[in-house]
Amino acid sequence: MSAERLRLVTDPVELLEPQLSAAVEDSPDGERRLRLPLSRIDAAVEALALRGGQLAALFPVTAPEPSLLAAVAFQGDLVALRAPLDGAETYPSLSRVTPAALLPERELHDRWRLTAVGHPDLLQAVDPDPDRFDRRIVGEQTFVIPYGPIRSGVFESIQYVIETGGEDVLALHVRPFFKHRRLEQRFTGLGFDHAVQVAERVAAIAGVAHATAFCQAVERALGVEPTRRAQRWRVVHAELERIANHLDVAVKLAEDAALAVGVARFGILKEQIQRLRAQLCGSRFGRGVLVPGGLAAPPLLEPRVALAVLDGFERQLRRDRRLLLGTASFTDRLVGSGALDRETVEAYAGIGPVARACGIAADARFERPYGAYVRVGGRIATVDEGDAMGRLRVRFHEIRESLHIIRQAFERLDKYGPELRSDLPDARGAAFGWAEAPMGELIYWVEVAAGLVRTVRISSPSLRNWPLFAASFRGDVLTDFSFIEHSFGLTPAGADR
Amino acid sequence: MIEWIARGLRTGIVTTRYPKRPEHPPAGFRGRVDILEADHGMPHLEATCPTGAIHVNEDGRVSLDQGRCILCGLCVAADPVRFAFAHGYETATRRRASLIAGEPGADALEDLRATLGERSRTLRRSIHIRHVDAGSDGGEEWEIQALNNPYYDMQRLGFFFTLSPRHADILLVTGAVTPAMRTPLLRAWETMPEPKAVVAAGTDACSGGLSAAVETSAGGVDAVLPVDVYVPGSPPSPIALLHGLLLATGVLTREAAA
Repeated sequence: MSAERLRLVTDPVELLEPQLSAAVEDSPDGERRLRLPLSRIDAAVEALALRGGQLAALFPVTAPEPSLLAAVAFQGDLVALRAPLDGAETYPSLSRVTPAALLPERELHDRWRLTAVGHPDLLQAVDPDPDRFDRRIVGEQTFVIPYGPIRSGVFESIQYVIETGGEDVLALHVRPFFKHRRLEQRFTGLGFDHAVQVAERVAAIAGVAHATAFCQAVERALGVEPTRRAQRWRVVHAELERIANHLDVAVKLAEDAALAVGVARFGILKEQIQRLRAQLCGSRFGRGVLVPGGLAAPPLLEPRVALAVLDGFERQLRRDRRLLLGTASFTDRLVGSGALDRETVEAYAGIGPVARACGIAADARFERPYGAYVRVGGRIATVDEGDAMGRLRVRFHEIRESLHIIRQAFERLDKYGPELRSDLPDARGAAFGWAEAPMGELIYWVEVAAGLVRTVRISSPSLRNWPLFAASFRGDVLTDFSFIEHSFGLTPAGADR
Repeated sequence: MIEWIARGLRTGIVTTRYPKRPEHPPAGFRGRVDILEADHGMPHLEATCPTGAIHVNEDGRVSLDQGRCILCGLCVAADPVRFAFAHGYETATRRRASLIAGEPGADALEDLRATLGERSRTLRRSIHIRHVDAGSDGGEEWEIQALNNPYYDMQRLGFFFTLSPRHADILLVTGAVTPAMRTPLLRAWETMPEPKAVVAAGTDACSGGLSAAVETSAGGVDAVLPVDVYVPGSPPSPIALLHGLLLATGVLTREAAA
């Protein structure tokens, strides 16, 4: 990189320090920490947002003192803006800067009685009443369909309030938090072995990603790096989880299009992956594998055997994918449905396959490489269409990349020592941990002291992307609904943590 | 479309023959924890379990509540002589009390499977299932959806998912029941015609699991509804769910006869 280019890279610290009386604090690699007055937190987020920063998390933390923390993904780093509360119950709303703050600020209001001054509507978000919703009519002669929380089919509980004139979806309001389980507070006081069980059960279909983000936060807080072998196995489990999730989306989309053999074929492929995961660790969801410091137990299957299974899987997948993407009655329903443009996704700080389908190369595995992703290479799969079809194509690309990554991870496995678990000191610390879940980047904030977890905060990709689902209905009709919903591949459990 | 048909035919039959034939899990599968040695337990064993499923009484006798077990395996790792993962998928039971391993009265599994196989043969009518997520982690939903894939194909046993609780015979509930899901869950149950059965699917639904310690959680479906069949597991495997559903059909036929 030339000296000229280097100067163009704005340092957020340089940027904010004089302007906002911010003070730099020590932090592990990959994150920058700034302490600033609560009254300037909106200005600080705005200053970073103007240079491409995206609000990634907003929650109260307790270490080193009760504070409001806004995390901004900025030029490959996470910038943590920490504003001590000093007993304050109000703060300037960030929703003026980015709509990504709208839902988190409502949750802050409900759960911690922290009020965002300037927020357009601080309606109750947590534990909503299914029968009473705020009706925001967009025009004359529209009516409202409440869809959920119990929905048509075997799905997780969430409510969508659809405003329609009969066919067109004029507006969509997403109401999560019907199953808000207060799991963040469940972590408090647990030892690491027990706490990782909670992390795995926040969202089962992204359990490995949750465990990865949690473990890495603990490890970063305590300055421990797991062994190379442990890190490679973590990657194998995480990529298998990604493949299973992407196949699940394919199953659901084929089901929406009433493509019976497609449903069966992709159901078979997904089941093969789930069975492989059970063979590797005893759990079809990769549970009980990760633990802060490394791995809990050695894998139950030889890499050679797992690779043979994956080779057969890939051959079948190639045929089924070609057939699926060549079936006009299927692709016609996806092309142009739920289209998003890049500007909207950036405004809402969208992440994951949703963002990558709009040409945004956002992927925590390669932006902020963690664990074995530092050494294992892969490409970020992006397309430009921004519609349901684009999101499906991104998923198929990613399955291919995941298989490639798994093969690389296995390649050098025997060159590393057998050690799987490193000891953790009984120290005090706090850090972010992150992982690219199948739905997008997942961020954990973990505070530890004396071998116990004190505070956990989670910023989940499902919660971050849900507003985009509402924003994606432009000229789409009611019958497109399930296609668009499933193309997002989000999980209510992740949002309702 | 012809190509799809050919693809489907080429795949052949992958479906399990459960419950006529037993289905065996891979080695090391985490379906259920059994107690191998119940005597001479030290009180500190209780602390290894994150959900308080392990109990040691004053005589040193160890018991394990499988309805609270989340299959984390921490006890198996800490004391492999005493605890072990059972080699089998089935976990469901009619009585909450019979989920407590280490105490007499656990169902004899082999007999049970034979009865279930018989029942699925004689069951001519179809059973309709309405699923309600009352606060799950999403894993149970994946396993329930898997019942429709060709490996498990629950329709061969006469089970179908229905969209309306008015058509449902079985209410399949997941999750520990959160405050906002209590009313929708009750409403679904009240709407169902008699006879009806409630199946609590997953450890969270059976006992609250890890959520039991959270004050807003109901701590399991039976705090809200009368539960007929408990299917513990975190999440229960598709075979465990099938087993639970077959048990529930027994509840229905008995009630219909009464």
